[in-house]
Amino acid sequence: MFMDCGTCETSGPVQLMTPEVVNVNLTISSKAQEMLVDAFGDDRSMALLVGVLSGGCSGYMYDLQIVEETDQSCQEVVIEGFRVLVPNASSHLLDGIEIDYVDRLMGGGFRINNPNAESSCGCGESFA
Amino acid sequence: MPRVAYDDASLTVWQGADALQFIDGLSSNKMVDMIQGEVRQTVFTTTKAKIVDLATVFHMGDFLAVQLHTSQLERLLKHVTPRILDQKVTIVDVTSRNQFCIEYGIHNTNVGQFESLDGVTHGHVDERYSLLIASLDVESKPTVDQALFHEWRIENQIPWNGFEVTGKNHPLSAGLNQLVHPAKGCYIGQEILARMISRGRQGKKLTRVENNSVDEKFITTQGQSHSLAIIR
Repeated sequence: MFMDCGTCETSGPVQLMTPEVVNVNLTISSKAQEMLVDAFGDDRSMALLVGVLSGGCSGYMYDLQIVEETDQSCQEVVIEGFRVLVPNASSHLLDGIEIDYVDRLMGGGFRINNPNAESSCGCGESFA
Repeated sequence: MPRVAYDDASLTVWQGADALQFIDGLSSNKMVDMIQGEVRQTVFTTTKAKIVDLATVFHMGDFLAVQLHTSQLERLLKHVTPRILDQKVTIVDVTSRNQFCIEYGIHNTNVGQFESLDGVTHGHVDERYSLLIASLDVESKPTVDQALFHEWRIENQIPWNGFEVTGKNHPLSAGLNQLVHPAKGCYIGQEILARMISRGRQGKKLTRVENNSVDEKFITTQGQSHSLAIIR
C-alpha cells in the first residue's frame, strides 16, 4: 500500500473553527441604491448576494453577485425594496457593513465599508 | 540513496470542489493549474508575509494529499479553517496512518511529479531530493541519521522546517524564492512579497557561511565546518 489517505474509511474531519451566526444589520448608501435601480430595473425578484471568499491580499475577499436564489444558507435583509442575501457562514464578517458605490473611472464600482475589517488592501476588494 | 526520517511531517487530505482554489488563495505558489499526478510545494503566509507552514501538495485526482508539519499543524489549521466559510473544503488529518522519509543526494529528472515505487509514494519536489510517504505496513526505513542529512543540506543550501522555514521568516529570506510565484493573483502576504521582489529589497537571505564568520544569532543550521545563516 502507498501513502494511506484514509479516504476509503471514515475519518473525522479536523475541528473546524465555525464562528457563530449573527443577525446582520447593513445599510445601502443612496448612490448604491441608485446603481441597484439601474441594475435591477423594476424586477425585485432578484437579490444582491453579499458574500465573502477566502483569499486576496488580506485574507478575505468580498463577493457581490446578483442572483435569483442561492443554495447557500442565507439571511435575507430587505432595504428600500431591495433583497440582500448574506450567507450565514460569513455573517460575522459582514454585520454592520455599508454597501456604497464609488463613481470613478478607475477603481470605481460597488464598495463595502466594513467596521469589522482590521485592514483592507489597496483595491478595496480584500480585508482582514 | 540515503534516506532520513522526516519526523515532523504530517499528512492531511483536503477534499471538495474548492480545495485547490482555496489553497491557491492562501499561499504563495500558483496551484490552480495542478493536475492529477503532480506534486507542488507552496507556502502559507500571514498578512505580514511570515511563514505559517510549507505545504507539499499531491494532486490525487479526487482529492489533495497535503504534507504539512506536525509542529505547525495547529497554527496552520487556525489560519485556514476560519476562511473556509461556505466553500466546499474538508480537511482530514491522516498523519498517524503514514511514515515519512526524505531520499536525498539524487538527481530527479521528473521534478513536479510523483510516483509509487515498491509500495512507497515518491514526491519529486526538488532536483536533489524526494519526499517519501508510505503506509505503516510498508517497510521504509531510514538509512542515515539526521546529522548527515543536515550536513548535506548545508552543502546544498536547502532550507528546512524548524531551521530556516519558521514563523520568524518570510519565504524569500528562508530561501524559498522558487515557491513565490511572480504572477499569480492575490494571496495573504502577497503585497509585501511582491514589493520586496519588485524593489529588489528582500532584506535577509539564506547563505552558506564558514563557521565563526558570522554572529551566532544568525546561524539557522549549525554544521561541522560550514553552517546556514539568514543574513543581510
